[in-house]
Amino acid sequence: MSFRKPSVLPGFGLTFGFTTCFLSTIVLLPLAALVLSAASMHWSDFVRVVSSPRALGSYRLSFGASLLAATINVVFGFIIAWTLARYEFPGRKIIDALIDMPFALPTAVSGIALTTVFAQNGWIGRYLEPLGVKVAYTWLGVTLALTLISMPFAVRAVQPALQEVQRDLEEAAETLGAGRMYVLWRIILPTVLPALLTGFTLAFARAVGEYGSVIFIAGNLPMKTEITPLLIVIHLEEFDYQGAAALGVVMLAISFVILLAINLLQAWGRRRHVRAAH
Amino acid sequence: MSITLDQVTKHYGGVPVVNDVSLDIGDGEFFVLLGPSGSGKSTLLRAIAGLSGVDHGRISLHGRDVTHVAARKRGVGLVFQNYALFRHMTVADNIEFALRVRHMRGRARRQRRAELLRLVSLEGMDNRLPAQLSGGQQQRVAVARALAHKPEVLLLDEPFGALDAKIREELRRTIRQVQRELGITTVLVTHDQEEAFAMADRIGIMSQGRLLEVGAPHDLYARPATRFVATFLGAANLFLARRTPDGIQVGGKTMGGAERAPGAPEHEVVAVVRPEEVEVAPARDALGSRYLGHGIVDEVTFTGALERLRVRLDEAVRAPLLAAGDGDGRPTLQVTRSRHAYRGFEVQQGQSVAIGLRRVHVLPTPLSSFTACAQSAPLADELSRQPLLTELVARMKTRIAVRIEPSLGVAEEPCQAQGEFFGTTVIAAAGDNVGRAEWLLRRGVKDLLVLPEHAAPPQRVLIHWMSEAARSATLAMSASVLRHVPAEAVYVGIFPGNSDSERHSHGMRELLDARSEAQAAHGLEMRTELHFGDVAQELTRRLAEAPAQMLILGVTELRQFADSFRTLLDGGRWPVLIVQRGAT
Amino acid sequence: MGTAAARAGGALMAAALPHGAFADDAATRPGQHTWMHAIVRWLCITVSLTFLAAVLLAPLATVFAMALAHGLAAYLHGFTDPDTLAAIRLTLTTALVVVPLNTVFGLAAAWAIAKFEFRGKSVLITLIDLPLAISPVISGMVFVLLFGLHGWFGVWLQEHDISIVFALPGIILATMFVTFPYVARELIPLMQQLGNDEEEAAITLGAGGWMTFFRVTLPKVRWGLVYGMVLCNARAMGEFGAVSVVSGHIRGLTNTMPLHIEILYNEYNFVGAFAVASLLTLLAVLTLIVKTLVERTGYRRR
Repeated sequence: MSFRKPSVLPGFGLTFGFTTCFLSTIVLLPLAALVLSAASMHWSDFVRVVSSPRALGSYRLSFGASLLAATINVVFGFIIAWTLARYEFPGRKIIDALIDMPFALPTAVSGIALTTVFAQNGWIGRYLEPLGVKVAYTWLGVTLALTLISMPFAVRAVQPALQEVQRDLEEAAETLGAGRMYVLWRIILPTVLPALLTGFTLAFARAVGEYGSVIFIAGNLPMKTEITPLLIVIHLEEFDYQGAAALGVVMLAISFVILLAINLLQAWGRRRHVRAAH
Repeated sequence: MSITLDQVTKHYGGVPVVNDVSLDIGDGEFFVLLGPSGSGKSTLLRAIAGLSGVDHGRISLHGRDVTHVAARKRGVGLVFQNYALFRHMTVADNIEFALRVRHMRGRARRQRRAELLRLVSLEGMDNRLPAQLSGGQQQRVAVARALAHKPEVLLLDEPFGALDAKIREELRRTIRQVQRELGITTVLVTHDQEEAFAMADRIGIMSQGRLLEVGAPHDLYARPATRFVATFLGAANLFLARRTPDGIQVGGKTMGGAERAPGAPEHEVVAVVRPEEVEVAPARDALGSRYLGHGIVDEVTFTGALERLRVRLDEAVRAPLLAAGDGDGRPTLQVTRSRHAYRGFEVQQGQSVAIGLRRVHVLPTPLSSFTACAQSAPLADELSRQPLLTELVARMKTRIAVRIEPSLGVAEEPCQAQGEFFGTTVIAAAGDNVGRAEWLLRRGVKDLLVLPEHAAPPQRVLIHWMSEAARSATLAMSASVLRHVPAEAVYVGIFPGNSDSERHSHGMRELLDARSEAQAAHGLEMRTELHFGDVAQELTRRLAEAPAQMLILGVTELRQFADSFRTLLDGGRWPVLIVQRGAT
Repeated sequence: MGTAAARAGGALMAAALPHGAFADDAATRPGQHTWMHAIVRWLCITVSLTFLAAVLLAPLATVFAMALAHGLAAYLHGFTDPDTLAAIRLTLTTALVVVPLNTVFGLAAAWAIAKFEFRGKSVLITLIDLPLAISPVISGMVFVLLFGLHGWFGVWLQEHDISIVFALPGIILATMFVTFPYVARELIPLMQQLGNDEEEAAITLGAGGWMTFFRVTLPKVRWGLVYGMVLCNARAMGEFGAVSVVSGHIRGLTNTMPLHIEILYNEYNFVGAFAVASLLTLLAVLTLIVKTLVERTGYRRR
C-alpha cells in the first residue's frame, strides 16, 4: 500500500514536511540527546544513580504524592462536577469558569501563593498549626500543590460524562422501582467510571512531572521533601549531565507507561460497550 | 377505572403546559394520546408516571390516589423514545433490574426473564449489550424491562420515533399483541395520526395543553367536534357555511342536514368535507351527489391506489373555503379519488369540472369567523391587524371580514353596511365602548369582542353570564376560544347580597351545575369561584389582580348590561367577549 | 446507527421541554423526601465550595493581598526595578516569538493530519502530544544536553561564540518545546470534525491551495485558533520548570517573569514577588475570560 491516499487537496508536501522538520528539531533531536546521554553511561553507574537512596526517596514522594493528589481530585472532582451539573446556585457559572484557573496560572505563582496561604501564619495555615497539622514544607504541602494543579483535569474529565443524557436512565430506573441511592450506585457510578479513570490518569500524569508549584511549598529536604524533578535540577547544576539524564530517562519511561495506560483505558472503555456476543 | 385524571394542570414558567385535563381510561384499554409537539402529551404522560409533579388536580391508578406518590411506588412501566437502556448492563440485567430492586430470588428472576424475552421475540439475546442490538431490538428490550415487575399500567412515550418505517410497523404489531395478551392498560403518546388509528381503542387529542376530544378512531374521524381535530386527523376542507331552516347551505346551495332547532335564526357555521367525500364529474348532471359549483383542476397527483386533486373553485361559487395551512393565495379544494373513480373519469390539469359534495359534517363550534367593525376603513384595517386577533385567526384557521359603519355608536342611526352580521364582530376599545357595543347588539350582532389595543394573549379567561338564558351559548363560545388559547379557564359565579350559609350552598350548587354542563356538553374544563356582591365590581376586582386576562360575558338584558358594565368596559383594559342570547 | 437516530430523537424531545425542565422536574417530583434532597444539595455545594476556596480561591486572593500589603505605592514601585522590567521584557519577547511560530506549526500540522490519510498518522499525533506528558524539567534538560557546555554541540557553539543555553535562544527553544502542542491540539480535532467538503468544493471551483486556506479554512477554525493561541500564550509566559533549567538565572539578562518571582521570593521581597505574580495572575484571568467568550460563540472543545 502506498504511503498516503491520493487527495484532491494540495499542500501535503509542504505541511507534512514542515511538521516533520519542526518536530524533529524541537522534539526528536533533544529527546534523542537525552536517551543517548543516559545510554552512554555504564550500566552500573546508571543503576547507582537511579537507585540511590536520595533518588528512591524522591520517587516515593513524587509518585506517592501524585497518586494521593489524583485520588483526592477524583473524589472531589466528582462532587464538584456533580454540583456544577445538577444544582443551580449563585455564582455557578463563574465557579465553572474558574475551574480552569490552575491550567492558565503559571506554576510559580501557584507555588508562592499556596505557600503563603498554608504557612504557619498564613490564612489557613494559622488554623491548622494549633491542630498539629503542618502543611508548608512537608509532604502534605506537596500533595496539596499537586492537587491544585491537577484539579481541572479530574473535573473536566467527569463533567461531560455527567451532563450526558443521564436523565432518561435515572428516570427509567426510578419507574422500575429503584431508590436514589440504588440509582447512584448501580446506574450513575458505573456509567461515569471510565471518565473517572481517565481523569485520575490525566491528573496523575500531570502531577508526577510538576516542578514550579511544588518547590516553594516543599521545603526540599533530601529524602524527605525532595521531588524527583528537583533532584534532576540539582544534578544539572553540578554538571552531572549523565546522572540527570539517567533520572530523566526513568521519569520518561514512567510517562510513556502512563500515556500508554491512558490510551488503553480509553480503548477499553469504548470496547466494553461492544463485548463479543457470547 | 384503571387510570383517572381529574383536572390535571402543570405550569412551566407561568404557561400551562397541561391545562385542566380530565380523563378516564378503562381496564385493559389501549389509549393513545395524540397531538402535535408542544401539546403537552409527553408532560401528561410523565405526570402519570410520577416523574413530574402536578400543580393542580388528581391522578388515580386503579382507584388509588397517586398524585403525591413517588414514581417508584406507582407500579407503572415506562418506555422511553430513546430506549434509556442501561448501557453498561446486558439485556438480561436490564430486564431483571426491576426484579433485583424488589429482591426477587435468582431462579424466579431467570424464569421471568425468559418469559419476557419470549413475549417480545428476543429469545437468546440474554448476554448481549445494548450497543450490539439494532434500534428495534433495543426498544423490545425496553418494553420487556418495563413489564418485568408486572405493572398495572404501561406507558409509552413516542416509542417508535427513532426507528425506520418498516421496523415501526413490526413493533406496532408486537406491542399491540403483547398488550392484548397481558390485558394491561396502556397509554401511548404519539404525534403520528396513522399510528394512533392503527393501535388505539380510543384516542385523546391534545393541543396546547388541553384535551380537546376523546373517542374511538372512527368516530373522531367521521364526526370531529373541533376544527383542530378535523384537520389534524387527516386532510379536511373547511367551509364557512350557513345553517338555515332549509338545511346547511354551502355557497348558496343546500346540502341537506336536518334542521335541529326550527325557528332558530340563520347563522354561520364551519362545515367539514373530507377529500374523499368530494365528487368531480364532467357536468352537473353526471354528479351523484349535491352540486356545489364548477372549478378548474390545479394539480393532479398520482399515488398508486389513490389520486389526489387540487381544484380551484370558480369565483361564481361563493363558498368561502378556509385555508388549511397551505399558505399560498386562495385556498384550493382537496379531492381524493379512488382508482375506480379516476379510471371512470380522467382529469387533467386545467380542466373544468363539476363538483359535488357527498357528505358535509358541521362542527358544533359557534366561533366561525371574525368581522372587524369600525367607523372608517383605516380604523378597521388597524383593528384587523391587532396581535391577539391575528393570532386567534391563525390558530382557528379562519378569516377576518371587514365592515365599515360610519355611524357606529350613534343612537337611532341604522346600519349602513349591507348584509347581516355573521361570525363574531370585533370592535376596538376606544371610549364609550358600552355605547358602541349596545348599538351593535341591538342591530343583530350576537357575539361581540371588544379588543383593547395591543392586548396580549390572555393567561386566564374569566367566564360569567348574567342569566341562565345565556349560559349555554357562553360556555360554547368559551370552549371554542379556550381550545385555541393556552389559558386557565375560571367561571366566576357572582350573587347579589352577602354571603350566608344558605346562599352559599345555593351558589355552590350553581357552580357545580355550570361545571358539569361545561364538561359534558362543551368539552370544557374550568375552575369555578363563588363571589357575593355587585357583579361588575367583583369582576373588575378579579380582573385587576393579574395582567393578561380576558372576560367572556353572557348577556341577556341589554339595558341592564349597559348600566352595570359601563365602568368595566369603558376602562378598556381587557378584551371582553360579549355573548348575547335570549330576549333582547 | 440506531443509536445515532435515537440520540437525535432524544435531542428533539429535549428541545420540546423548556430549558431547565429536568432540574425543575426532579425537584418537584412527587414522593421525594424534599428535606433529604435539600440536605444532600447543601452538602454537595458546601463541600465543593470549601474545597475550591481552599485550593483555588485563597491562593488567588493571596496574590493580590500580598502584593498590595504595603499599599499601592509600594506595589507600583516594585515595577520600577530594572531587573523586574528586564524580566517583563524578556517574557514578552519570548511570547512574541514562540506563539506565532507555534501557531504556524499548529496550522501546518492540523492541515496535514486532518486533510490527508497517510500511514503513521497516529505516531505523528502521539509525538505532538509528547511534551504534555513530560515533566517541564526534562523539557529544559534536553536542551542543556544538546547545547550546554558539556552537551553535544557545546564545544562547537563555544568555538563560534554562540550561546544558546543561558541565553535568549535557549529560553525560546525550551518554551517552544513545552507549548507547541496547544494550538495543534485545538485545531486537529476541530478540522477533523469540520471535514473537507468545503475545501474540496473550493478547489473544484478553481481556487488554489493558499486561497482555499485563507478564505475557506481559516474562517472556519478561527475560534479554535484563538482559543489555542490564548492557551499557548498563557503557558509560554508562565512556564517555569523548563525555562528554569535552561536559563542560568542571570539577573537582568535571562530571567523571565516566573524566574524573577522565584528570586524575589527567595530574597524575602514578598511585595515585589507578588507584584510580578499579580501581573501573571491578571493574564490568567484574561485568558479565562477569552476562553469563556470563545465558548459563547458556540465553539465547543471536542
